[in-house]
Amino acid sequence: MISMRNVSKIYVPNKPPALDDCTVEIEQGEFVFLVGHSGSGKSTFIRLLLRELLPTKGQIVVAGQDLTRMKSWKVPFLRRNIGCVFQDFKLLPNKTTYENIAFALEVIGRSKHVIRTQVPEVLRLVGLEEKMESYPDELSGGEQQRVSIARAFVNRPPLLLADEPTGNLDPATSLGIMSLLNRINKTGTTVLVATHDREMVDSMRKRVIALEGGKVIRDQDRGVYGYGD
Amino acid sequence: MSTAMAINFGYFMKESAVSFRRNWVMSLGAIITIYLSLLLVGVSLGSGMLLGQVVESFEDKVSIRLFLKDGAPAEQVDAMQAELLANEMVDTVVYTSKEQALEDFKQRLMQDSPEVIESLASNPLPASLDIDLKDPRNVSMVVEQIKASQNFLAVADRPDDPAKSLEYGQEVVEKLFTVTRIIRLVSIVFVGMLAVISLIFINNAIRIAIYARRKEIAIMRLVGASNWFIRTPFLLEGVLQSLVGALLAIGTLSILYFYILPKLSELMAFLPLTMSGGDAAQVSLVLVVSGIVMGVGGAMLAMRRYLRV
Repeated sequence: MISMRNVSKIYVPNKPPALDDCTVEIEQGEFVFLVGHSGSGKSTFIRLLLRELLPTKGQIVVAGQDLTRMKSWKVPFLRRNIGCVFQDFKLLPNKTTYENIAFALEVIGRSKHVIRTQVPEVLRLVGLEEKMESYPDELSGGEQQRVSIARAFVNRPPLLLADEPTGNLDPATSLGIMSLLNRINKTGTTVLVATHDREMVDSMRKRVIALEGGKVIRDQDRGVYGYGD
Repeated sequence: MSTAMAINFGYFMKESAVSFRRNWVMSLGAIITIYLSLLLVGVSLGSGMLLGQVVESFEDKVSIRLFLKDGAPAEQVDAMQAELLANEMVDTVVYTSKEQALEDFKQRLMQDSPEVIESLASNPLPASLDIDLKDPRNVSMVVEQIKASQNFLAVADRPDDPAKSLEYGQEVVEKLFTVTRIIRLVSIVFVGMLAVISLIFINNAIRIAIYARRKEIAIMRLVGASNWFIRTPFLLEGVLQSLVGALLAIGTLSILYFYILPKLSELMAFLPLTMSGGDAAQVSLVLVVSGIVMGVGGAMLAMRRYLRV
């Protein structure tokens, strides 16, 4: 699903690179944690996969497509295959839960019929069918993140990227979000979660890729957050 | 596919309307500047057409009249005529006799009091050769050639000052040409400046629209809305603004065309101040098209700078 070969990203010449010669393979259907301190390169990693950035060196293949050679007009079609969740939810405050999710389908040209069937379905999956008509500021943080996950998943992408999805949430709520992501992973979707939530990573026992200073320092199946720190 | 298109169209219209409501001050600014610049384009186009007609009517009247002295020998007049016809800049040469000249004079000026003419003891008007040119702008060249001609000296009405035997309207035409050139130049400069100002205004209005919708745009990029899908509402908004401006300009010009122009033309009956409906429609078309071009241009400018897709 994801293949990074010797990828480096340098934002400012002569400064330490954000990513330094990273090689990572992630198979379809995997659940992977990407861990590391702030500034370790997690966000750069995610943005490279979304092709918001191009690597300075190396090759990135996502869902069979070489991002470094992809024409820019094809990028939107790549992103339709990647669901994306962020720490700050990125919901539109003037739209209801339903409208927020429908918007994601509307703007990629899905028909009204598709929208009317898929939105309630995904809301049931995340457990928010009761909150369909609520606006984001009427929802708790956990509920907002569920809406955001629903929006990322409504189009059934084969890959879901989450950048600090529990960064703004308390531990109990975080657990709920993680089990939701786990459930989505069980449907066959590859899930990559960038986080520095140590307890979460340790309790889930999934594959862990650790970044430090832009380098992959550890990649282990059924891993934990880290040793010393 | 067709339903998807229908949904898109509804979506775009909705977005443009919402955006207009949201920043109508900037949109109004854009509309007014487009209106003013297109109005000026229309006025200068229309007046250019009218002036062209006026100039043309004068050009038609620019012929050289060569006055012949009384009793000039017929063969010398024929020779002069032949020489003129041989000149390739000359279109036609018509001989007007003394009697004909008097008759024309009566017809033209003395219709109301023919007795003035009747009371004349003798015919004071000279015979003449009326020369029409293929291109009125060559008048002075032909005049110089005539002045240098031996035949001319022989038949001229006033051999002492042969130049006085020639009559032509060169100066009028040249002045008209100069005036139209200046008017054209000034209006091009003004229209150019206004076009730049309009572009800046549209650019600003669209920039604010983009800024107001930056969250939506970020999400659209995230979920994979295609570039044209993200851009179209802004493009449409620019075009909408300029179309409204164009329609206002056309409305104003219609008032000029239907109410002011007939009055003006009545007031100056000696000038051909009329414009056909076809010409007026042509001007309107030019305004609409240049409005759309400005709208698209301004929106593209703003998107290039402020909308990363």
